[in-house]
Amino acid sequence: MSTTDVHAGSHPAGVVGDGTTTRSRAAGRWRRLRVPLALVAALLVIGLLAALPEPRTSTTPLAPDNPGPTGARAVAQILGRHGVDVQYTRRFADVVAADAPGVTVAVLGESALGDAQVDALRGLGADLVLVGTPWTAEQVAGIRGGFGATSDAPRPARCDDPDARAAGTVVSTGALVAAPGQVGCFPSAGASVAYVVAQVDGRRVAALGSADLLTNDHLQTAGNAALALRVLGRGERLVWYLPSWDDPWDGTASDETLASTMPPWTGPLLWMLALVVVVAGVWRGRRFGRLVVEPLPVVVRAGETTRGRGRLYRRGRAHGHAAAALRAATASRCAARLGLPRSAAAPDVIDAVARATGRDAAGVEELLYGPPPTTDSALAQLAGRLDTLESEVHRS
Amino acid sequence: MAVTWRAVLLAALGIPVVLLVPMSGTVIVWAVLVVLACGVDAWLAASPREVAVRREVPASVRLGEPVRSTVTLTHVGGRRRLRAHVRDAWPPSAGATPGGDPGTGGRGAQTHPDRHAVDLAPGDARRVRTLLVPTRRGDLRGDRVTIRAWGPLGLAARQASVDVPTRLRVLPAFRSRRHLASRLARLRELDGRAAVQIRGAGTEFDSLREYVMGDDVRSIDWRASARRADVVVRTWRPERDRRVMIVLDTGRTSAVRVQDEPRLDAGIEAALLLSALAQHAGDRVELLAYDRRVRARVAGTSGPRLMPALADQLAGVTPALVETDWPGVVAQVRARMSQRALVVLLTTLEPVVVEHGLLDVVAGLADRHQVVVASVADPEVAELARGRADATAVFDAAAAERAGLERAAVAVRLRQRGAEVVEGLPDDLAPRLADTYLALKAAGRL
Repeated sequence: MSTTDVHAGSHPAGVVGDGTTTRSRAAGRWRRLRVPLALVAALLVIGLLAALPEPRTSTTPLAPDNPGPTGARAVAQILGRHGVDVQYTRRFADVVAADAPGVTVAVLGESALGDAQVDALRGLGADLVLVGTPWTAEQVAGIRGGFGATSDAPRPARCDDPDARAAGTVVSTGALVAAPGQVGCFPSAGASVAYVVAQVDGRRVAALGSADLLTNDHLQTAGNAALALRVLGRGERLVWYLPSWDDPWDGTASDETLASTMPPWTGPLLWMLALVVVVAGVWRGRRFGRLVVEPLPVVVRAGETTRGRGRLYRRGRAHGHAAAALRAATASRCAARLGLPRSAAAPDVIDAVARATGRDAAGVEELLYGPPPTTDSALAQLAGRLDTLESEVHRS
Repeated sequence: MAVTWRAVLLAALGIPVVLLVPMSGTVIVWAVLVVLACGVDAWLAASPREVAVRREVPASVRLGEPVRSTVTLTHVGGRRRLRAHVRDAWPPSAGATPGGDPGTGGRGAQTHPDRHAVDLAPGDARRVRTLLVPTRRGDLRGDRVTIRAWGPLGLAARQASVDVPTRLRVLPAFRSRRHLASRLARLRELDGRAAVQIRGAGTEFDSLREYVMGDDVRSIDWRASARRADVVVRTWRPERDRRVMIVLDTGRTSAVRVQDEPRLDAGIEAALLLSALAQHAGDRVELLAYDRRVRARVAGTSGPRLMPALADQLAGVTPALVETDWPGVVAQVRARMSQRALVVLLTTLEPVVVEHGLLDVVAGLADRHQVVVASVADPEVAELARGRADATAVFDAAAAERAGLERAAVAVRLRQRGAEVVEGLPDDLAPRLADTYLALKAAGRL
C-alpha cells in the first residue's frame, strides 16, 4: 500500500508521490498532535486530581454535604461512621421509593412541602423524624406547634423517653405541644416542649421543634449530639429528605421526570444524530488540497488625498480657501478657453469674460474676485454661479 | 483520507436501526461499522502516491487572455484501478474558469473549475486541462496537484498533494496596441513613404526626385536642377537611429490605484506603445524601471526581439512603497546615454513629490536630452471637481480644483525647465505619449 521511496519520485511521466511514506505521515501526524494531546491529557489529570479527593460539598442549609455552620455534615458523617446508610435526597419520589418498615425518613423543613406530599408522608410505613415542621407534624401525628423559647438556657429532658434521658439536656429553640398520649420532652418555661415522640399507625413519629440542634454549629452544645444521633440513627437506613421547590412531585405520576416522559429511543437517537453530524463534518471539513495563498497589493485610492483635503476644508470651515480654489480654477479655464496667456492679469480676464458672456464687468469681477463666502450655502451658491459663468463662456 | 456524502448516508441509515433497537450499544456498534466501512474502502482505493503527475503551461500569456494548464496523470502503481478527482491548484489571480476541459468536471465544475474526475487503469495516462484567465500581471506559480483516490464503494478516499513546480509568466496586457496601427500610419506619412509629401516632415535629407505638380516650390533644389534638365526637389525624412530611454517610476506613487489598476500599469501600457512605435520608426529603445534600485532593464535589444523582451521584463515589476530616488535615475540615464536622447519619465505629477524630487533634477537632464514627463491623471479627481450635491461635495470639489491648479503649476515649472509634460487618464496616456513622440519626431527635436 505504501510507497517505499522517501523523496518525491521522478518518473519519465512526471512527479510521483508527495515524498512521504506511511511511516513518515504517521510521524508527522504524531509531531503535529503530540502537543495538543499532551495538553488535553494534562488538563484531564489536573481535573481528576482536583475532583477526586475532595467530596462534593454544598452550601444548602441542613444538607448532609454542607460543612458550614448551618449545614449538617457532622451529624451525617457520624451516623455514617456508625453504620447508618444515609441517603440524601431532594426529590419526594426517592422518599416514596425508599419507603419500607425499619427505614427512618427525616424531613427537614416544610416550607417547600405541598399538601400531596404531606398526605403521602402520612401514608408511609417508615419511621418519621420531622424536624422543624410543626404543620406537617400536626397533620401527620397531631403534634401542634407552640410558642418558642428564645433563651439559650439548657433544657433538661424531664420525660421517660430513653433517647431524651440519654441526652440529658439540650439547647434548642424548638416549641411543640404534645397531644395526649404522646411523650413531650425538654420543656421550656412555657407549655411547649422541644421534642415529641408519638406512635401513629404502628410506627414511630418523632418531631423536633427546631432544626438548630442538628447543625454543625450547635451539635456540640449540651446533649444535642446525643439526641440527634439517637433519634436519627435508630434504623439501619436513613433517608435525609430536604424538600425542594424544584420537585414537581404531586402524587399523581409518582416518578415523572423530563427524561421519563420521553420515548426510550430518545437518547440513542440523539447520539446517532451526533454521529451523523460528525461524519458530515468530516465530509465537508476535509480540504481538497491546501488553500493557495497569494500576496495582494496594497489598495490606495487615487482620490483619497483629495478627499482628505476636502474634509480638512470642511472641518476648518475654510469657506474662503474653498471659494478661492473654485474661482481660480474657473478663471484659469475661462482664460484658457478665451486664448489668454496663463500670466494674464485679473482685469484682462474680467474684460475678456465680460465680453464673451455679455455680462457687465462689475458682476464678473464680483463673481471671480469678490469677497469670500462665509457659510456653506453661500459657498454652494457661488459654485453654482461659477458653473453658469463657465458654461456661458463655453457657449460663446 | 476523506469521506463522501455516502459515508454520511451510511451513518444516517443508523437512525432507523436505532429506532428499532433503542440502545446505546446500537450507536456504538453503528459508529464502529461506519468507521470500519470507510477505513476498508480507503484501504482498497488505489494509492494517490503512485501516480506520475506532470503539469504543462505555456511559458507566458498576456494578461486577460486564456491559457490552459494541462496536467498529465500516469497511473504507475499496481493492480488497482484509480478512480479519482484531481485538483490543479493555482493562486486565485490565475482565474480558473469553467470550460477548460468539458466532460471531466462533472458536478461542481462550475464552482470548482480546477477539479477534474479521472478513471485510470494501471499503466494508463490521462490529460486534464484547466482554463486559466489570469487577472494579475506577474509570475504565477502553480500550487500542488491534489489527487483524491476513491475506494470501490465510494465511501472514502485517500488523498495526496504533489508538488509540481510550474511557472506561468503573465505579461502586461498591452491593450494600447490598438492605437499602434493609426500611429504607424502617421509615422509612415512622416517617413516619406506615403503619397503625400509635406515639407518639414522631418529634418534629415533623404533624396532628390523630379518635381511633380503640387510639390511645394520652396523644396526645389535649384543647384541640382541646374545640373539637369528637370526641376528637382529635395525630400526629407524623419531622423532615424535616435535613442529613446523610457524610465518607469516604480516608487510609492505608482502604487496608487486609478480605476482599479495601479498607476504603474498605465505607465507600462504607455511604455509598450511608445516602444513599439519607436522601434518601427528605427529608433533604439531602452527601458529602465527604477525606484531606489533597478527593477527591470531592457537595453541593447532591437528588432523583433524588443517587444517580447520588454513584456517579459515588465511582467514582474510591482510598485515598491519607497520614495523614488530621482538623482539615482539621472545617474542611470547619464551612464547609459552619452548622446542626445529622448528621455521619457513615466511618473506622477504629485505636486509635493515632484517639488522635492523630480523638479531638482529635470533641468540637468533637459540640458542634454529631450525630456518628456508623462503622468497618469485620475478621473476620480475630475469627478470630485464636478460635485455640487451638498456642502461636503462642494468642499471636495474645491479640494479637487486646488489639486488640479497645483498640478498645472507644477507642469508649468517642469516646462520652464525644458521638459515636455503629457498627462492623460489611464486609457489615454499611451496614445497621447505616442502623439507627443510623433510630434517631436516631426519637428526634428529628437
